[in-house]
Amino acid sequence: MNTPRRVPVSILTGFLGSGKTTLLNRILSEAHGKRIAVIENEYGEVGIDQALVIDADEEIFEMSNGCICCTVRGDLIRVLGNLMKRRDKFDYVLVETTGLADPGPVAQTFFMDDEIRAEFSLDGIVTLVDAAHIEQQLGRSDESTEQIAFADVLVLNKTDLVNGEALDRLEARLRDMNRMAQVVRSERANVSVDTVLNLGAFDLDQVLERRPTFLEPEYPFEWTGVYSLDIGRYELSLADGPDPAMSLVVVSDQGTDDAALREGAEWCVRRYAEPAELFRPGEEIPVGKHVNLRLDSPGRKSFFFEVDTQVRVGLYAQHTAEEFDLQLTNVEGATIRQEVERTWVAQHEHDDEVGSIAIERDGHVDPERLNAWLGELLRERGVDIFRMKGFISLAGESHRFVFQGVHMLFDGQPDRPWGDSPRRNQLVFIGRNLDEQSMRQGFEACLI
Amino acid sequence: MSDLNFDSPKGVLRRGWSAAVGDYAIAGGWTLRGEALVVGDAAGGVYAFDGKSGASAWARQGAHDGGVLAMAIHPSGTAFATAGQDGRVLIWGVAEGQVKQAIDVGSGWVENVAWSPDGQWLAASCSRQVRAYGADGAEVWQSDDHPSTISAIAWSGAEELATACYGRVTFFDAPTGELRQKLEWKGSLVAMVLSPDGDIVACGSQDNSVHFWRRSTEQDSMMSGYPAKPSALAFDDTGTLLATGGGEAVTVWSFQGSGPEGTRPGVLELHVQPVTTLAFARRTMRLASGARDGAVVVWSLQRDGEGDPIGAAVVAGIVAELYWRPDGRALAALDARGGVTVWRMG
Repeated sequence: MNTPRRVPVSILTGFLGSGKTTLLNRILSEAHGKRIAVIENEYGEVGIDQALVIDADEEIFEMSNGCICCTVRGDLIRVLGNLMKRRDKFDYVLVETTGLADPGPVAQTFFMDDEIRAEFSLDGIVTLVDAAHIEQQLGRSDESTEQIAFADVLVLNKTDLVNGEALDRLEARLRDMNRMAQVVRSERANVSVDTVLNLGAFDLDQVLERRPTFLEPEYPFEWTGVYSLDIGRYELSLADGPDPAMSLVVVSDQGTDDAALREGAEWCVRRYAEPAELFRPGEEIPVGKHVNLRLDSPGRKSFFFEVDTQVRVGLYAQHTAEEFDLQLTNVEGATIRQEVERTWVAQHEHDDEVGSIAIERDGHVDPERLNAWLGELLRERGVDIFRMKGFISLAGESHRFVFQGVHMLFDGQPDRPWGDSPRRNQLVFIGRNLDEQSMRQGFEACLI
Repeated sequence: MSDLNFDSPKGVLRRGWSAAVGDYAIAGGWTLRGEALVVGDAAGGVYAFDGKSGASAWARQGAHDGGVLAMAIHPSGTAFATAGQDGRVLIWGVAEGQVKQAIDVGSGWVENVAWSPDGQWLAASCSRQVRAYGADGAEVWQSDDHPSTISAIAWSGAEELATACYGRVTFFDAPTGELRQKLEWKGSLVAMVLSPDGDIVACGSQDNSVHFWRRSTEQDSMMSGYPAKPSALAFDDTGTLLATGGGEAVTVWSFQGSGPEGTRPGVLELHVQPVTTLAFARRTMRLASGARDGAVVVWSLQRDGEGDPIGAAVVAGIVAELYWRPDGRALAALDARGGVTVWRMG
């Protein structure tokens, strides 16, 4: 007997008024030739001939063991169980939840129930956000926070009701909570069908393709410029900028390739962790120390440093050179151009309890240690971990191991061969009050 | 079970006949003392076949819009009821293939239908409600809403109906609809069977366990450790053996003596895919099991629950249901590809 392809399922969440029904109608009218079944928990005005629309009351089934991670949606098991028996099988299933639905049990249903898992695959969770009201909702309800944390795609809807600056701020906040999700803006849920169907959202490759920097660590500095210098005294001058002060570390003997820059960055993170010494314009600054430049006087401000050998130095600055029109000149007053420059993902305050942790490390992982670490992590923190996905380079395995999970439910299998690509481990966790440092250390200990 | 092939049943199973319906064969049953087999499918068609030859007696396409969900054979064997996604129950005459009564039960799916043992009552569940009808199809009563959609119904006696839903088994008096007993358990009860005397209620639960109660003492027990949810359950007609699916093995609990609490169940291993359905032959210790890969096995059991395979065969799709002919001399399998296969017993 051949096992037929599993039918992909998208889950559509979002508070009442966020535009779910509008989006659903749009998908159904545009996805021509596809047989789509819609399971609705909220009776909207969906009415398209080619789609089968099934109304079902949300039925949340908790287990006697009391584990919230085992909670499933009984209505979905029942309806999907019957849907899969039809010969004219569906190409796609869309589940529209109520505004107040907890996405956990919906997603868990696709992991917990063997029969559902055999026939359906969770393609992605799409959360509609009412740009005008989400800030209030986030303050008031856990459900809206969790709908954002669980999402593979966040549709920031009704953008016409909010000004551009507020929108950027909102998007930054949402990205903070969920670094894994793709954010799409729309006015009247006018997003393309591809945004919602066949996401392959659990495929981390696609996420990385869309946003290659999302796994990058955050640094306390935004910019690095590397300068090739002769012996002598140099003047670092800055114009007026957005802040009254700026942190800086001058690194001696800095290389120009990416590895050398990352190495310098790691070294500077430790310098930045030390308290900064304050310098006023006109003062001499030390090399290799965390310094804070006072910039609150008007006009250009100059600081000086000396090098005693011919060397490349790296300036690791809290802000980009552009923001303060940062210039480096020698004693003759000639401007020195940087050889290379790069920007870093800047650290910022995380206000929400819900956030993302990304771990990226080269090397091989000991499967037993990984199992023990993840097992303990999910046992102890599974309730607070909403979503996770990643790639692992298991020692002795030629194929990449890919995993994903919802709360403490974990699903992993070998993926494509590594081939010539670098064997890099990439993990993302989205959860509530996660301890980033201990999770990093925990994973670190799994490396061989 | 790789040595099985479609055309060569093993052991006690001998080739009989095979036929096809239009879609996934959802439910069926033997009628007219084994002279006919009726089947309903996922496309909503209802079919009747000659029990000996498999020749089509009649076929009614599209009887239930959206598909058949359940079927119940009247104890007389001359009539049967079908239930479907169209919210209706249809009562059919077997010989003529005509709908004698059409009952509108509700606006949702009618997922369960059952005749009382004496054929005086018909019960059907739709969403959170169960309704009882007289033999003429007239409604007698309807229940209040259950806490969730009713997952199973069964007659616990000539005048008593049981329902299972999330967290609860409920017993109703058939003539009045009065609630007689409630047994509670925090879990999603996906399947239910009763011992023939109505005392033992066994439910398969979503959390991979079987929960059962002895009604006379209200004592309950949980049998856990199944690798999957036990949605296939069957009692033998002496009430001694309870066969359960929930994985690739068939686990058989024996109620003889003080069991099954504290005893080891019989574990019947031969299937390589999860068991989907179980059926005991009447007045024998013969059990038939079907699995997701289309394999069908017949087992000979002892009173302690242990047993041996005595026959095996394979059909083209997931085994949906197995039905023993009332005389136990033939076995019918319905499968996910619309196949209807009947073996004679050697």
